Amino acid sequence: MPDIIEMHLKLLFDLDNLISDMEEPSYKKIGFQIEEEASLVLIQKRNDLLKKLPAEVAQAYEILKKRYRQAIAPVESEFCLGCFQKLPTQLSARSQQIVTCPNCGRILYWRKKEG
Amino acid sequence: MNLASLLSKDRVNLSLKPGKKDDVIRDLVYTIKKGNDAELIVSTLLKREELGSTGIGKGIAIPHCRSLAVEKLEIAVGRTNKPINFNSIDKKPVSLVFLIIAPPQDPGNQYLITLGKIVQIAKEITKKNLIQKAETPEDFITLINGIEKNLTKRK
Ligand SMILES: [Zn+2]
Repeated sequence: MPDIIEMHLKLLFDLDNLISDMEEPSYKKIGFQIEEEASLVLIQKRNDLLKKLPAEVAQAYEILKKRYRQAIAPVESEFCLGCFQKLPTQLSARSQQIVTCPNCGRILYWRKKEG
Repeated sequence: MNLASLLSKDRVNLSLKPGKKDDVIRDLVYTIKKGNDAELIVSTLLKREELGSTGIGKGIAIPHCRSLAVEKLEIAVGRTNKPINFNSIDKKPVSLVFLIIAPPQDPGNQYLITLGKIVQIAKEITKKNLIQKAETPEDFITLINGIEKNLTKRK
């Protein structure tokens, strides 16, 4: 997918995980000081990020997030790490389209090799 | 899971460059990841900091988040010889920073368990005034190991 969309999706994904962690009782128990309006601020930020995505991608993300919590999944050795199914070989990391897993539907991204 | 085993000496920087909070966080993140991955992590960490500083007081901060840029729990430690402003709860500047980054999926909830453990260890370090004690990264890991063993014994 285009780099800019990938970047926004990843920022959104990390932010959504941050939001759910902040609500987690075992997180709260650790005792970090949190501002009272923290979750409102985060939700505003995630909605701003969502607006930066093409409408159909934003919509797909929201539907997938409801279904799986984690809407996007990495590809490793031709496997979708969302559902652990092998992907058809014609799926490409270099595609300029959004690529989704034919089995679970999650939006796929390819991990870049270090270096 | 033993904390000292998650720490390697190349992830312990006892002469971290003092500077602005964001720069110190970025420098530490770059000991774990580079490029876009590092910037994604920095961005998520700074969003976390906006909700309330992870400076827990008495000179220690524990910035943390989950990010898809890592595949396993990653920890780095930095110490500056000149304390930096971290907007800590006690307003005191910080000279020891524990950075924790966890992957999104985290079987066994290792992330929150480790985070809780680091908070406990950090409190021991301040109570016994040990922030500047270690002289080398190896010393530092030995110190952490000792504190961790004592904490486990007490339970
Ligand atoms: Zn899948």
